[in-house]
Amino acid sequence: MSRVRLVNISKHYGPTLAVDQVNLDVVEGEFVTLLGPSGCGKTTTLRMIAGLIEPTTGQILFDDQEVTNLPPNGRNIGFVFQTPALFPHMSVADNIGFGLSVKGRPKPEINAKINEMLKLVDLAGYHDRLPRQLSGGQQQRVALARVLATNPRVLLFDEPLSALDRNLRETLKYNILDLQRRTGKTAIYVTHDQSEAFAISDRIAVMNQGRIEQLGSQTDIYLHPQSDFVAEFIGANNRLDGRILEGGSGERTAVQAGALTLQCPMRPDLKAGDTVAAYIRPEDIAVLKNDDHNYRNVFEGAVEQIIFEGSVAQLRVAVAGQTFRVDVSGTERLQLLNHRGQIQLGFNEVTLIPIQQAQ
Amino acid sequence: MTTTTLTKSSTKGAGQARFNSRRLIDLLSHLYIWFCLLLFVAPFLALFNYSLQQGTSGIYTLSNYSYIFGSFTNNLLTSLRVSALAISINLLITLPAAYALVRYEFPGKPLLLSAVTLPLYTPAPVLGLGLVLTYNFSYGLITSIWGLVFAMVVGTFPLMLIPIVVALKDLPLVFEEAALCLGATRWQTYFKIVLPLIGPGVSAGILLCFIIVFNEYLVTLFVAPPSVQTAPLRVFNLVRTAGIQNTTAALAAFMQIVSFTAVILFFRLFGSRYLKGTYLI
Amino acid sequence: MTSEVSPVRATELGKAVGAGSRFRRWRPALLLLPSILVVLLFLFYPLAFILLMSFTLKESFLSPAGSVYTWQNYIDLLSRYAPNVWVTVKLAGLAALVDLIFGFPFAYILVRKIRYRDLVRGFMVFPMFGALYIAFGMRFILLPGGWLSPLFDLLGLQGVQILYGLPSVVFAMAIFTFPFMVMNIGAALSNVDPILEEASICLGAKSWQTFWRVLLPLTRSGVIAGLLMCFGWNVGAFAEPLLLGSLAEQRALAWTLYQRGVVQLDYGLGAAIGVILMLLAFTVNYTSLRYSRGALVQ
Repeated sequence: MSRVRLVNISKHYGPTLAVDQVNLDVVEGEFVTLLGPSGCGKTTTLRMIAGLIEPTTGQILFDDQEVTNLPPNGRNIGFVFQTPALFPHMSVADNIGFGLSVKGRPKPEINAKINEMLKLVDLAGYHDRLPRQLSGGQQQRVALARVLATNPRVLLFDEPLSALDRNLRETLKYNILDLQRRTGKTAIYVTHDQSEAFAISDRIAVMNQGRIEQLGSQTDIYLHPQSDFVAEFIGANNRLDGRILEGGSGERTAVQAGALTLQCPMRPDLKAGDTVAAYIRPEDIAVLKNDDHNYRNVFEGAVEQIIFEGSVAQLRVAVAGQTFRVDVSGTERLQLLNHRGQIQLGFNEVTLIPIQQAQ
Repeated sequence: MTTTTLTKSSTKGAGQARFNSRRLIDLLSHLYIWFCLLLFVAPFLALFNYSLQQGTSGIYTLSNYSYIFGSFTNNLLTSLRVSALAISINLLITLPAAYALVRYEFPGKPLLLSAVTLPLYTPAPVLGLGLVLTYNFSYGLITSIWGLVFAMVVGTFPLMLIPIVVALKDLPLVFEEAALCLGATRWQTYFKIVLPLIGPGVSAGILLCFIIVFNEYLVTLFVAPPSVQTAPLRVFNLVRTAGIQNTTAALAAFMQIVSFTAVILFFRLFGSRYLKGTYLI
Repeated sequence: MTSEVSPVRATELGKAVGAGSRFRRWRPALLLLPSILVVLLFLFYPLAFILLMSFTLKESFLSPAGSVYTWQNYIDLLSRYAPNVWVTVKLAGLAALVDLIFGFPFAYILVRKIRYRDLVRGFMVFPMFGALYIAFGMRFILLPGGWLSPLFDLLGLQGVQILYGLPSVVFAMAIFTFPFMVMNIGAALSNVDPILEEASICLGAKSWQTFWRVLLPLTRSGVIAGLLMCFGWNVGAFAEPLLLGSLAEQRALAWTLYQRGVVQLDYGLGAAIGVILMLLAFTVNYTSLRYSRGALVQ
C-alpha cells in the first residue's frame, strides 16, 4: 500500500514525445485512472510506473523510495495486462503461486495463498484447470488472483477489460473495484472508456498527447472541464466559439457567438474581448413548452433530426446557424418523438474555456 | 415430348461426362503424387529389399541386421556420439543467440542473420576442405573427434537457429513481462516461462540437427580422424571398396529407418507447424 | 489499445530497467558471442584459408621455401578443368530443370487438391537423409537384376549403360533437391488465390492457357527461387556422380576437389575449386532468397 509519485516524467522515442512532463501524486489506497484516447501516453506512463519502460527524464517514487532505476521484479507491483497472459503450460494454481514460488517461499505458504486467492475471486476448486479451459472472464479473474498473491504495493491495470464483451465488462469492473477496496491497495488504471473510468475511480487524470490535461474527481472533470480537450472528450458537448462582451459584472457576463448572445457565469481569469469557447451540455438544454421558466438563455430553432436512443431522445436543432445537440430523458422524451418544425430551448449552464490567441 | 426427353438425357450425359472427367483428373492427380512419392522412397526400398537378402537369393532374412549390430556397432555408436555432442553444443550457442536476435534491437541484424545462415549455402566439399586445411595447419584438431563435432556444429547451426527463432517470435512478449512484474528474475523467466513454451521449436531444431549429423558423410570424409568412423562414412567407404554388399545395404537402410522414425515421432508429438521454413516443409 | 507502444515493445523488454545497467547494453552481444565465435572460427576462417590457398601453387604451402603465389590454379580451371566446371553446371542445371518439370505439378496438386499433406511431407523427408543413400539405392534399381531391368530388357537397353551415365546422375540429384522445388513453388502457389484460376476458366481459357498465362507468371518468383535453390544445392554433388556416373560425370567439381586437393595434395588447385564452388553456390542461393519470399524464414 504505497503512495505513488511521478515527478516530471517524460518519455522520448527519438523525435517523438510520448509522455510530456507528467506529474502525478497518488495517495495510499487511492484508485486513480488515466483516461484518454489511443496514443495519448497513458499506457506508456503506466509501463514506466511498472518499470517495463525506462523514462527519459523524471523520477518515480513509491512512498519515499525512488524506484526509477529498479527493474519490474524489484518494485513489488501487480500488473494486470490487457490479455490475461496466464502461462499456458501451468495450471491455475501454479499460475497464482508463481510470484511466491520465484521468491522461494515454502510450499505450505504458497498453497495457503493459492486457496485464499481462489476464494477471493470466486474460483475455488479450479486449482488444476489449464488456462485454455477457462473463459475470458475466468482467465482475467485468475490474472487478478495471480497479482494479488504477491501482496504488491501498487496495482497497475492496462485496459484489462477491453478484450471482454460488454456484460462481462460490467461485472468484472465492479469485481476489480471491490477487490481494490477490500485489499486497500493503491491502484492505477488505464482505459479509454469513460464510463469505466467514472464507475470505479476516486480520481481521474485525463490525458492527451502525453500530458495530463486535468486531474480531478468525476464531478470536477465533467462539470468543470479546464480545457477544450477535456470538455469535448468527456461526454458530449455543444461548442460555440465567441468573444466576451463588455459590460459584465463580477459574476456574470455575456458572450457573443455568431448570431447568439449567451449569458453565462464569469471566470476570474477572463476579461472583455477575450476569445472563448462556450460549452453547453446536451442534457443541460431544456425543451420549453411555454414561458413559465427561469432560463436566462432562450432560443428558438428548427428541429433537424430526432434520434430515439432508448433512455434518451437526441435532438438536433438548428439555432441561428449553429446545430445544437439536445438530450431529453424522462417521459418528456416520448412526447417529442414526433415533433416537427420549431422548438424553444432554454439553458443556464455554460462553461467558458479560453482559446489561445496565438495560433 | 420426345424432344424434351432427348434434351434431358443429352444434358444428363454431358453432365456425367464432365463429372467423369473431373473424377479422372482427380484420380490422375493422386496417382501422380503417389508416383513421385514412390520415387523418393524407391532408393530406400531397394536398399531395404536388398538388405533383407543374402546376395540376390530371394530368401529373406534378418541376418544382415544382426551383422551390423556386430561389426558396425562402433560406427553406430560413434555416429550417435557425434550427433549428441553436436546437438548439445548447438543448443548451448543457439538458445542465447536466438533470444538476442528476437528480443533485442541492434544495428546490423540482417547482416548478422546472413552471416550465420551462410553454412547452408556452403557446399559440403568446400567446408570439408577448408576445415581439413585449417585443422591441419592452424588449429591442430586433425586427430580429435572435436574437429568433426565442430564441423557438424557449424554446418547445422542455422538449422537449429531458425526453428527456435520462429518459436520465440511467436511467443507473445506479454508472458515475459507478466513474469517480471510478478517478481521473477530474467533467468527465472527464461527457464520457467520462455524455455518450456518454445520447447517444440527447440525440439524441431534438435530433430533437424540430428537428421543431418547422423547421416552426414561428406564433410566427415574430409575431416574425421581415422579413428572416428561414423556409420555413413563407413557405408561410403564400403561401397567404394567392397562394392554392393547386403550388409552395407542393411546399414544404410537402418540409418534411414532410425531417421525416419525420429521424424515420425516428432510429427506425432508436435505436428508439422514447427518445421515451417526449413527443408522439410 | 496498447498500439501506441507495440513497435517498441520487443526492444523495451530488452532494455527493461535493469540492475547491472552497465552490462545491459552489451547483453545482446554477449548472448551472440558464442555463435559468432563458432561461425568465425569454423566457417569464415576456413573459407579465408581456402581463398588464400587458391593462390598458392600445388603444395608449395607445405614446402620449407614457403608458398608460391600464382593465378595458375584459376587459369587451369578455365582451361584444363573447364570440362569439369561445365559438367558440374550442366548436371546441376539439368537436375533443377527435372525438378521443375516434375515438381510444379506435384506442388500444384499438393497445394490445391490433396488433404493428406502431412503424410506426403513424411515421405518427402527421405531425400533429406542424404544423397549417398539415394545414389546407393539407385544403383540397385538400375543394376542388371535390379527392379528396372525387366523394363530395360523390354526397351532393349543395356542396364549398365543406363546405370553409369548422365540420366541416372541427374535423376538422383533431382530426387535430392525435389523437396526444395516443391517448397518454393508450393509457397508461391498458396499465395495465388484459386479464384483467379476459376476466373480464367470461366473466361474461356483452356487449362494450358490458364497455366501459361495466369499461374506461371504469378508463381514466377517461386519457380525462379526453386530453380536457383536446386541448382545451388546440387553444385557440390559428390556421391551421385561418383556412384552413378560414367567418367564424364565423375569430372564433377566436388569429386575433382577431393581427388586433387585431398588425395593428391594439390592444395592450390583444390582450394581454387573450392572457391569456384563456393561462388557458384553462394550467389545462386543468395539470389534465390530474393525470389523465395517466405518459403524460407528470414
